[in-house]
Amino acid sequence: MAFTPRGPEASFFEVLDQHRASLLAALKRGGEEPTGGGMCLASSSEVLSSIEKIIQDIVTSLARNEAPAFTIDNRSSWENIKFEDSVGLHMVSHCTTRKIKSDSPKSVKNFAIILKILSMIYKLVQSNTYATKRDIYYTDSQLFGNQTVVDNIINDISCMLKVPRRSLHILSTSKGLIAGDLKYLEEDGTKVNCTRATAVAVPSNIQGIQNLITDAKFLLIVEKDATFQRLLDDNFCNKMSPCIMVTGKGVPDLNTRLLVKKLWDTFHIPVFTLVDADPHGIEIMCIYKYGSMAMSFEAHNLTVPAIRWLGLLPSDIKRLNIPKGTLIPLTKRDQMKLDSILKRPYITCQPFWRKEMEIMADSKMKAEIQALTFLSSDYLSRVYLPNKLKFGGWI
Amino acid sequence: MEGPAVAVCEILKYLIIYQRCETAGVSKGALLEGQLVISIEALNSKHQANTLHCVTTIAAAGSIYGGLVLKKLLKDMQSILPGFFANLNWTSEEAGHSQDASGLRPFQMIFEADVKPRTLMTDSLVIKNFLRKIITVLPKIRFNFSVKVNGILSVEIFGAESEPALNLSNGIALVVNCQHYLSTPKFDTTELPCSRIHPVLGHPVMLFIPDDVVGMGLLGELTLTPAVALCPCPKVFSNQLNRISSISIFLYGPSGLPLIFPNSEQPTTAVFKDASYFIDWKKYRLSMVPNLDLSLDSGVHTLLSAHLRAILRESHSVVQGCIQAAVARALEQHRQAVKAHQKLQASLSVAVDSIMSIMTGSTNSSFRKTCLQTLQAADTQEFGTKLHKSFQEVTQHRFLYHCSHEVKQQLLPERNEAEQNTDKAHENGSLELLAGTGEQTENKRLKRGSLGVEETGASRSAGALSPSEAASRRAEPTAAPLTFSRSRTGPGSGLEDAVWLQEISNLSEWLSSGPGP
Repeated sequence: MAFTPRGPEASFFEVLDQHRASLLAALKRGGEEPTGGGMCLASSSEVLSSIEKIIQDIVTSLARNEAPAFTIDNRSSWENIKFEDSVGLHMVSHCTTRKIKSDSPKSVKNFAIILKILSMIYKLVQSNTYATKRDIYYTDSQLFGNQTVVDNIINDISCMLKVPRRSLHILSTSKGLIAGDLKYLEEDGTKVNCTRATAVAVPSNIQGIQNLITDAKFLLIVEKDATFQRLLDDNFCNKMSPCIMVTGKGVPDLNTRLLVKKLWDTFHIPVFTLVDADPHGIEIMCIYKYGSMAMSFEAHNLTVPAIRWLGLLPSDIKRLNIPKGTLIPLTKRDQMKLDSILKRPYITCQPFWRKEMEIMADSKMKAEIQALTFLSSDYLSRVYLPNKLKFGGWI
Repeated sequence: MEGPAVAVCEILKYLIIYQRCETAGVSKGALLEGQLVISIEALNSKHQANTLHCVTTIAAAGSIYGGLVLKKLLKDMQSILPGFFANLNWTSEEAGHSQDASGLRPFQMIFEADVKPRTLMTDSLVIKNFLRKIITVLPKIRFNFSVKVNGILSVEIFGAESEPALNLSNGIALVVNCQHYLSTPKFDTTELPCSRIHPVLGHPVMLFIPDDVVGMGLLGELTLTPAVALCPCPKVFSNQLNRISSISIFLYGPSGLPLIFPNSEQPTTAVFKDASYFIDWKKYRLSMVPNLDLSLDSGVHTLLSAHLRAILRESHSVVQGCIQAAVARALEQHRQAVKAHQKLQASLSVAVDSIMSIMTGSTNSSFRKTCLQTLQAADTQEFGTKLHKSFQEVTQHRFLYHCSHEVKQQLLPERNEAEQNTDKAHENGSLELLAGTGEQTENKRLKRGSLGVEETGASRSAGALSPSEAASRRAEPTAAPLTFSRSRTGPGSGLEDAVWLQEISNLSEWLSSGPGP
């Protein structure tokens, strides 16, 4: 019987294996990885007790003829966020707070909405049912006004109760996709095999998946769905087997980030990003690697500082002689974003990233991954990525 | 036979203006202070039946009037009140018994007249009304007014020193207790959560002084600053306003004295003839106000008030425009207050329902018991009621705090872009007008000034407190609206008797022991 080898030869992955070894060594040197940081999965009874305590405090305030108020951490304030190489962006332990008062015309509505969502969470946890943020919004869209209000308050509650959103029985809608050498069991027992020709949706219950199995040599995070689909069409996962591909379809949702984190925590395989050579792509990459300001309170569950930038690097544009006609001038917004990223605390410990961004800033041009198709239609999957992976072309 | 009211009012005005002039260069913008004593002692006349012989004394405590030359005052009074003087006996004492350290003597003036009892009753009302108006904008001046009729004494002290007031930059302050602006109590303001007014200042407008008035000696620049307030406070009485039962207009001169029209003239000037013009009824969905109360006194003359009609007529559209704008802002403020109140109520309802949902859905008996005990409720229904009530009380308290702390703000006039006729260069001047004849022209220093309302005053979101150029009132079905005719009616009217009875609640013994009408 003829044996058709899947993927390249073992020697192809030498550099990757060395990289992995260095990552593991760094992990050992850095001590134990923080396990979940300050956000552990809480039991239902713990969540219910926390909410009851809040209600008791409110009633006690009223009995004393004092207007009750919530004290909320300022999650999205730079003064409350610090950067650690091993974690990324995360909240400081003693952060500034703000009060949501019940007797202030400006905040009384927010006060009421927080109570409303707390009461909904209470019911979900009590009945062991789940709802998405969108479901919450539609229960009373007139009261909430817009989805962003609901999203922010849910995050505030998560931060206030110091439990991950999952413990509040509120799910985020997953929009991400996975493909490649990965199998797992979902919480309800469903077996998932990502080696199929078509991609699998990122599950909504990441904490509940078990029995993850993979032989993957690396995990490739792809910024855009278009690029992801192109790679699928080019049979990239088989050509580069064993590997795993994930896309968040732009800015990743919480579940996609949780999955990437879980794969790293479980397998410690090298994780690379494939993003456009533009400020938006770089920012998305930073979210996976260092986290976002909005979710900094849950950074320990979400960030993978070991992520490396595989492509498209601004320096690749010149190196590969990508036609100038395929490049796009940076807009004013791009410039502002690029300046903002360059000022962020984590860039100081990434001199190569900084250099790439400076190349982009100097040229005032950006490029999408699709620009590689001008070299050849399958240049990305046939030449660019294999060479990058084989010869360690990541930073 | 004229009573003492005319003379008392004119003398008080003279003294206040004198004090203004004396202190103007010393402490600009400081509030006038002092104490003035007015006492009327009446005994049955020995020479005429049904007549009281009244001795009226006006005295001023403190040395502020020490430099006042009494002879000059008498001469000025003769020119202001020629008819009056012919019939009265004046005695001026310079209270030679006491002098302060500077060698100045306190001021005292005494005059006598024979009047009918009803005249005295009416005059007492007029004097009280006048004093109330003064202390509204000059709260630090205290008046001690006593009336003794055949041995029966009644004393009333007028002063607002301890009341919350808003200081304006020209040495005038506005007392914000709404009682000062209500002619008759339409509702028990002690029961209101907030008994203050929160005026909204309009933009000052320059008034044109006709040439013939200038020729009479009224020189300088005259500005009018309107202030509008709803009563009661819209913040804590935030039902939707749909009717205004009356409009009261209070007009003050630059020295803080109420402006009046000559007795013989029509009470209303064209500007204020149709006060309904000031309100955009359709926009605010309001019904028409039935009555106008133009709170102007009668019987006393000043140069400005003598020509007030002409001045206002010349600047008719400007005056109406600025008042309209101020009224619109006051009503808009109310509308915002109603919206805020509705928003608050809606939010509190959501908060209460959410807490009740958790409380009633909880299987934790300890938690439920603790909640019930904390609010001293027997069951969840009572708990819900008490919860709602508690929220109302704590939020009400906060709104009242806002109301009371507005007073401490110094207000500056806000630029109203809608008002085009704004020669705004002279916002905070002071128009000093001394009553008197042509002989005193040199004393008629007309600086830039404001006629009427308070200068300064940017209305903050809470509204600027300023003396009511116009004050809109809330609908009060039981209130008897004031009519202009009331203030014009002479002695003998039935309505005046009713008001008199109300006024002399502390002089009830007079009714039984005094001389008949």
